[in-house]
Amino acid sequence: MMTTINAFLAYKGIYFLTFLLLALGLSGIIVCKNYMKKLICMNVMQVAVIFFFLCLGQKDGGTIPVAVEGLSAAADYINPLPHGLMLTAIVVSLGTTGVGLALLLRIKEKYGSIEEDKIIKREKKF
Amino acid sequence: MQILLVEAVLLLILIGITLSIIFGKDLMTAVITYCGFSFITMFLYIVMGAPDVAFTEAVIGVISTIYFIMMLRSIDRRCK
Amino acid sequence: MKKKLTVLAIALILTLPFTFLDILPSIGDVNSAPNKHVSAYYIENAISECNSPNMVTAVIVDYRAFDTLLETTVMFLAGAVVLLVLARKPSIKNRIVIPKSKRMHKDKSGNPIYKTVNKDVMITVIQPLILVYAVYVLFHGEVSLGGGFQAGALIAMAYILDVLVIPDKKSVFVLPKKNSVALAGLGPFIYTLTGIICLIGGGMFLEYAKLPFPVHTAELHSIGILAVEVGVTIGVAATIITILNAIMERVTFDDDNY
Repeated sequence: MMTTINAFLAYKGIYFLTFLLLALGLSGIIVCKNYMKKLICMNVMQVAVIFFFLCLGQKDGGTIPVAVEGLSAAADYINPLPHGLMLTAIVVSLGTTGVGLALLLRIKEKYGSIEEDKIIKREKKF
Repeated sequence: MQILLVEAVLLLILIGITLSIIFGKDLMTAVITYCGFSFITMFLYIVMGAPDVAFTEAVIGVISTIYFIMMLRSIDRRCK
Repeated sequence: MKKKLTVLAIALILTLPFTFLDILPSIGDVNSAPNKHVSAYYIENAISECNSPNMVTAVIVDYRAFDTLLETTVMFLAGAVVLLVLARKPSIKNRIVIPKSKRMHKDKSGNPIYKTVNKDVMITVIQPLILVYAVYVLFHGEVSLGGGFQAGALIAMAYILDVLVIPDKKSVFVLPKKNSVALAGLGPFIYTLTGIICLIGGGMFLEYAKLPFPVHTAELHSIGILAVEVGVTIGVAATIITILNAIMERVTFDDDNY
């Protein structure tokens, strides 16, 4: 019973949950009317993409990619290439969030609020 | 080295946190829940076998939450 | 009700097709396509060529050093763009100012608490420990877990702790906005300088084996990796401090006087 659950999760289940998280983040950006919540949902989408990349580099029976004395074959360690790419991606997402918050400050100063329908109503005055 | 059942449970918790962020009515609650979201993704990365990525996510999640909380000084807390 | 139906519809429409397609490899497969071609070479030759047991550091700073150079440039650009966006305020006639009677009730629960008991003792104990740990993580990035990104974020965290908890006392190191963005530009400069020194020694750009220092080849890789990671650390730390200072200055408005 546990092995069939494990086999189902390895084949399709984890990918289904990952895509569900990505789709929920995307629908949060579309549906929410507050601009700050859109920025938070953008970070949620980022986590789903990073997890998907880490899933692709797994190996059965491998250990973390720090070299140990006895093991030296390629099948003993997890693939280190996606880890390196994702390290860069996390740090760049911090810069993106910072730029997004700076733009949000300018919008608040010009229009007086950060809800979408109020901004559309007040834009007609310009 | 992965334990797939633990990963599935953690992903379900993440989906629950996302739903509470979308349908909530208070911005301060959403930002503090985002800090919890970052913490649980750090556990998820450790179980996947990526300790470098988990270390980076732990530090940068805290800094991102601090940016959001600082913005809340000038933005009203209620939202629809 | 409309919001919930929209969320449900988008979530289901985007995820259901993926359960019926068979293109993704099963998790944990040793012979899947990402695990075969060049990763096997990286795993087997990380210690002998790059002198670093941590394979992730060997990949991002030695085998793929060019990508990390451009990533550090992107971090510096993010800091510079935040300063450009928040440079000026719009004038009064281009702004919508809500009159005081119609403004929503402003919540004062976000203000920091100034008078805590342990701020003078715990901060002088915690801050040096964080800085020492950051230097340790930077120097041991190739033997155990760590590297340049984590060390830079930890140094910025020590600065944030100082500025946020004691706002009216002078902090340990004071960095106004234009100084910190200049420091962020020093990061990619150190990185490119290492690459140019490799060119002077007779090799290609960022080929650490041809640095013109009189030591063994294995130690040349260690020197190159350390110099490059110092550049990454300075770039990341200074960008985080720049964004923090830029947002913190502008976050309260003078609209309350109207």
